[in-house]
Amino acid sequence: MNQFAEWLSQTSWSLVIQTHEWIIPTVQSIHIVAIGVILASVIMIDLRILGWAGRDQTLVETTERFGPWLSGALCVLLLTGALMVVGEPARELLAFSFWFKMCLVVVGVTTAGAFQLALKRHERHWETTLVNRWSIKSAAVLTLLVWVGIVILGRLIAYDHVWGSWSMSPKA
Amino acid sequence: MSIPEILAALEASQLSGRIRDSLYLFPLIESFHVLGLTMVFGTIAIVDLRLLGWASTRRPFSRVALDVLNWTWLAFALTVATGVLMFITNAGVYYHNLSFRLKMGMLVLSGINMLVFKQTAARSIGRWDRERSAPPVGRTVAAVSLIVWISVIFLGRWIGFTSTRAQPAGDSGISIDIESLLPK
Repeated sequence: MNQFAEWLSQTSWSLVIQTHEWIIPTVQSIHIVAIGVILASVIMIDLRILGWAGRDQTLVETTERFGPWLSGALCVLLLTGALMVVGEPARELLAFSFWFKMCLVVVGVTTAGAFQLALKRHERHWETTLVNRWSIKSAAVLTLLVWVGIVILGRLIAYDHVWGSWSMSPKA
Repeated sequence: MSIPEILAALEASQLSGRIRDSLYLFPLIESFHVLGLTMVFGTIAIVDLRLLGWASTRRPFSRVALDVLNWTWLAFALTVATGVLMFITNAGVYYHNLSFRLKMGMLVLSGINMLVFKQTAARSIGRWDRERSAPPVGRTVAAVSLIVWISVIFLGRWIGFTSTRAQPAGDSGISIDIESLLPK
């Protein structure tokens, strides 16, 4: 991974990002705006499942309102995230927080995708039965926690020393 | 007490010292600050987009706002609390930081913007609650709100890149870029 980060840091894309000081903070800011959209979308869908918000809307209506924003912001997130990896390979790829975060991203995205597909296939079953199930409500809380974890780990990439010996980052 | 004295007192406080001395507290506080502000921005955006007529248009505005705004305030409280904790660790530096000052200005602007909304469009809510979008003044408030909060995010990030930390002595012989090891 060290070698890969070293190679990536010498690519022309990486050098462009490294030599323009405004790029990283700008990309980070856009990344934060996009995670804000995702977090709020997940919160609204999960609150609907829990029955704490949007009860005048069906689950399908709620998901149709927030699903596209979730997917759109996710694309922005992946793109800006990739730019940050290219621009600062060692900071990202050697950070324990980064890989932990990526695991949670896989879980979060898979859950969101599977949920939207399952909802489309069994609309009525979801609206009448599934949404009231205790297991589905717990899953909603868990997904929200996954995204909360993603935000926190994202910031912790800058402070990977908090993981002690789990971090591969060079010690300052 | 003058402002420099207040800043110095904040930095000298026991709480400030404890956060500075800990390897974990500042990173954790900052992480929860980001969590709070992303929730503030995301939930406010839902209300703003409804006012603009860009999303949730089939629901009355009042319902959308009712669903969202309690969470916005909760998240705002978290963001302010964690923001204050970060501020006191290095009050003098943040106080003089341009991005920090602009960010605080933006927060004041967002408060004024909210008051404008309460004094204007919010008073005639009954007339446009079910309309696709708010009257012009409501749409203007919404556009200002979106711009202000996105600016707050950008300025907040800029504070991290422009606030001076203790600079290690420059030594071109070392191959590691010390700057890149500092948290950003």
